Amino acid sequence: MERYIVNGRIGEGAHGIVLKGIDKSTMKLVAMKRIALKNINEQGLPNSAVRELLALRLIRHEYVVNLVDYFPQGYSLVLVFEYLPIDLYEFLRSNSKPLPTSHVKSYMWMLASAVEYIHSLGIMHRDLKPANLLIGSRGELKVTDFGLCRTFNHSEKAQRLFTHQVASRWYRAPELLYGSRNYGPEVDLWAMGCIFGEMLKNSPLFPGENDIGQLCTVIQVLGTPDEENWPGVSALPDFHKISFTKTRKQISFKKILIDVDESSRTMLEQFLRYCPQSRITAKQFLEAKYFQEDPLMTAIEELPLPTEKSVNTATAEFVNWDWSSTHF
Amino acid sequence: MFATSTQRSFWMFKDENDVSNARLSANIKYISSRGRNMTVEEQELHFLNVTEEKILIMSYEYQLRDFCRKFLPPMPRYVIGTALHYLKRFYVNNSVMDYPPKEILVTCVYLACKVEEFNVSMDQFVGNLKGDREKAASIILNNELLLMQQLDYQLTVHNPFRPLEGLMIDMKTRFPTFSDPERLRSGIDEFLEQVFYTDAILIYSPSQISLAAIIHSASTSKENVDEYITKILFSEDQKRLLNLIEAVKKIRVMVRNVQTPHRDVIKALEKKLQLCCNPDNNSESPAFKKRMKQSFDDEESFEDGQYPSANSDQVRSMLMGMSEMGKI
Repeated sequence: MERYIVNGRIGEGAHGIVLKGIDKSTMKLVAMKRIALKNINEQGLPNSAVRELLALRLIRHEYVVNLVDYFPQGYSLVLVFEYLPIDLYEFLRSNSKPLPTSHVKSYMWMLASAVEYIHSLGIMHRDLKPANLLIGSRGELKVTDFGLCRTFNHSEKAQRLFTHQVASRWYRAPELLYGSRNYGPEVDLWAMGCIFGEMLKNSPLFPGENDIGQLCTVIQVLGTPDEENWPGVSALPDFHKISFTKTRKQISFKKILIDVDESSRTMLEQFLRYCPQSRITAKQFLEAKYFQEDPLMTAIEELPLPTEKSVNTATAEFVNWDWSSTHF
Repeated sequence: MFATSTQRSFWMFKDENDVSNARLSANIKYISSRGRNMTVEEQELHFLNVTEEKILIMSYEYQLRDFCRKFLPPMPRYVIGTALHYLKRFYVNNSVMDYPPKEILVTCVYLACKVEEFNVSMDQFVGNLKGDREKAASIILNNELLLMQQLDYQLTVHNPFRPLEGLMIDMKTRFPTFSDPERLRSGIDEFLEQVFYTDAILIYSPSQISLAAIIHSASTSKENVDEYITKILFSEDQKRLLNLIEAVKKIRVMVRNVQTPHRDVIKALEKKLQLCCNPDNNSESPAFKKRMKQSFDDEESFEDGQYPSANSDQVRSMLMGMSEMGKI
């Protein structure tokens, strides 16, 4: 703990507070997540923290947030991460216009590199969304929050069942919406497609208001799923619980993404396929011609930096920090 | 994956001697701190020696398995394997006199459940224990962080079960002359159960152990898989083959030498343990309670922002300096 100076508060997560600090040994900013072990529901260390520890001990990647340190603090465990000023959610909201394709390409490339690496380690993230993608001070994108991640193993698929209550609704893959318990890393690919679309469109691609509404939103674009476009769908747990009148594609991607160039749209459609196995993998995506075509992706150094304002605000926030009276 | 694991880098000992030395130094460390004012003879009488410790730990390994077997809902064997790994790792570097083994045992199982995503609630978990369940829950919560620290937060365990399945599939496809390898299953399972009572899991890789199990099971049922090992698995790598043969031989000897400790012996050792254990680490002791309260107080001060003291001007100038240098 002596290694850090706390100088602010970033927020409050489900399992504790997140503080901002400076690592005196490197003079870098850090985010310190303090997880109470004696939490209200008395389960000890939350599963999300266990998963985060397991995954981040293994993962070292330039586009994944780095776990710098961890140590016990009283009854809590403190996880120390590198600090990144803003997330893609805030970043997109602060733009009035959609990002230029060259920037989207660049972000997608970084995201895909991280996902390809994570999947190659046998880990699926299960909660990819703009709020979990941080933008660093050099303009780089980094994946964060491994609190929902799990290992997968194709040979064991039948043995270990997963919960379908993962991922934030707008980014939740159709197999999850239909209650699948033995899905795979393809759920991350679907989420990548949603993020891709959101960047191109500058608003969420499938903003469902509830779980059923989520399926409707997807069906409006992709049509009703059936054994033809998605072999195996009728065997999913909740398939027969909800039935939709057979619709052909009502709104095409072309209509939703009006100003988007055709090659981006074609690429996007390859992520957003019903049948999980037919989605493009992160690896295939990275190898796609898309990245050799004009407009070429913007070099990371040339991407917009998180505004100077956000750095200043952080400093100001801390200056006004009253240590004596504040309770975290 | 095992090749790059923390298990391989931090929890693999060179040989049995290496493991014994670690245990010996934990034993000596404890005795020299608690028995400072005793003569060597008195120490020998009062404390457990390392051989006695080993017997006791083994009896706790049996208890652990027993507890897990009866656990409801039924616990998969990789959870049991991981818990046994934790227990073994914990008492390689710590004396059984220092930390109460019963408490550590249940905490190992609880943590293994989380890490292996065998999701049970604390209530469900302690429902499987006899006696005061509330107290048991509090013991587990008190020890969880200690256990993680002692495991150095290296929580991923590679058990021999997964490589075993791989080898079975491989035998079926590449060694068809051997009819129905599944016949070997019961012998293999028995061997893998025994191997957890030995130090082999701290010395050999999971795949070596699973191969030893196959070879052992084959030879006890008068079958021969030598051809599979020499001609198919290691046909091109003579050096690795020799290595493996040596390893398998040693693992089999270790398993053969497993002796279930006699009940009377355990009883006597337990009695001795009661007198020489560290009262400060018993969760019932005043010293322990005081320490826990201290932890809570530390945490409060962290929350109050008293910790660590930072002069705001100093921090601001650090921040400013850093942004000028382009570090943030």
